Amino acid sequence: MSSPTGSHVPPAGLRERVLTAALIARTPGRATPATEPITAVEGLRRSAQSLRQVLSALDESQWRIPALRGLDVQGLIGHLIGVETDVAGALTGDARAAAADHIASTETTARLQNGRPGRATLYDWVTAAGHVLDLLAAADPDAPVAVHGLRLTTRSLSIVRTFELWTHENDIRRALGMPRTDPDAPTLTVMTDFATAILPRAAAVRGIETPVDLRLVLTGPGGGTWQLRLRDETPAADIGVVTDAAAFCRLLANRTAAPDLPVHITGDPAIARQVLQAATTLALD
Amino acid sequence: MEGSDALLVARLAAGDDEALAETYDAHAAAVFRVAVRVVGDASSAQDVVQDVFVQLWTHPQRYDATVASLRTFLVVLARSRALDQIRSDARRVARHERVHRLTPLQDVPAPTEAVTAAETARLVQDAVNRLPADQRRVVELAYFEGLSYRQVALATGLPEGTAKSRIRAAMATLEKVLDRHLLESS
Repeated sequence: MSSPTGSHVPPAGLRERVLTAALIARTPGRATPATEPITAVEGLRRSAQSLRQVLSALDESQWRIPALRGLDVQGLIGHLIGVETDVAGALTGDARAAAADHIASTETTARLQNGRPGRATLYDWVTAAGHVLDLLAAADPDAPVAVHGLRLTTRSLSIVRTFELWTHENDIRRALGMPRTDPDAPTLTVMTDFATAILPRAAAVRGIETPVDLRLVLTGPGGGTWQLRLRDETPAADIGVVTDAAAFCRLLANRTAAPDLPVHITGDPAIARQVLQAATTLALD
Repeated sequence: MEGSDALLVARLAAGDDEALAETYDAHAAAVFRVAVRVVGDASSAQDVVQDVFVQLWTHPQRYDATVASLRTFLVVLARSRALDQIRSDARRVARHERVHRLTPLQDVPAPTEAVTAAETARLVQDAVNRLPADQRRVVELAYFEGLSYRQVALATGLPEGTAKSRIRAAMATLEKVLDRHLLESS
């Protein structure tokens, strides 16, 4: 048998009918299968737990392995103890934390770990991180906080710290020859929502040359589809970028260089690369 | 990035509706062809096409790029949905037939419905012909000649309870035979 036109070509109106029915059945933009929604503080708690598990399994010699910026694993955790201290100060009204430098203000704490047993450093970091988690859980998520030159909400601070702990866990894993790890899907979802929200700001800071209508598709756990305007001017270049959600987070964390990111681009590749380069601008080491 | 089918489906999973439109443009013709071939008419085939693409959009993770191409996956899905539709139509027609025999004359069906019903009725008749003789006889009496259980019992010389249970058993057998027949004929 055949269609009324005598051929087996789908009727012209079928395309719109099918696409409409599909978009009613599932709203575009969000990834499927849907992940359990979690708070930003919960995402940070999970990242802290993951790092703690790695550190708990280290022997003394592993604490001395060089990890990052001339710091060994123990020194890097010392750096984190310093960060936790500054963040706790910022959340409890210590104005000095606002202008403190992220690296310089923690150098002393990092150096003080030298010669201590690894488990003592671990204990101090777990205690400091737990205190910060308690403060963040009790805080209004929309309340402003200023720390290390950043002015942001406590919700955003939790996510920035999630990025930081995940990034440093992988710094340590790389130093120890362990495989890389990614956050679970709910945590990644919190991270990608934040990353896409700050991308226009990153583009503004970086000063991209061309206004861009960016369709960003992040695949895999924590993924989704976003339509973003970078520089609110016309005409704007239509750019499409498809990449893995966790890989995009590594780009933002400055652990993947823009040219090394596995990516599928539509539109002008040079402009797309500018956008990806801009995404690294707000990284905190 | 990964191969084009895997990339397309990863985009679907990420909620990229442009990927759905691209998938439709690339594969709708093949899906429609298979659907028409199995269900036999363009109108029902459109329902199958809609089912297939809505299913892909709502459950893209069911596609595994290491097992088959996306086109193969969609065509197999279309064939399966089309067969489901035929079975559903056959059951609906069988129900309608039974009700029709127990009620006064209803409205005359539209020509397209008549064609579909005739096609399906032929499938049902073929399936009835494959029944064991004792089952075929009671089904013919009950559903083609419109006899009641009691009348079937009188016509066959069976006790009424036996006639009733044999009709039930025949209907169960008929359903299985009909399903197998539809699979083979496609």
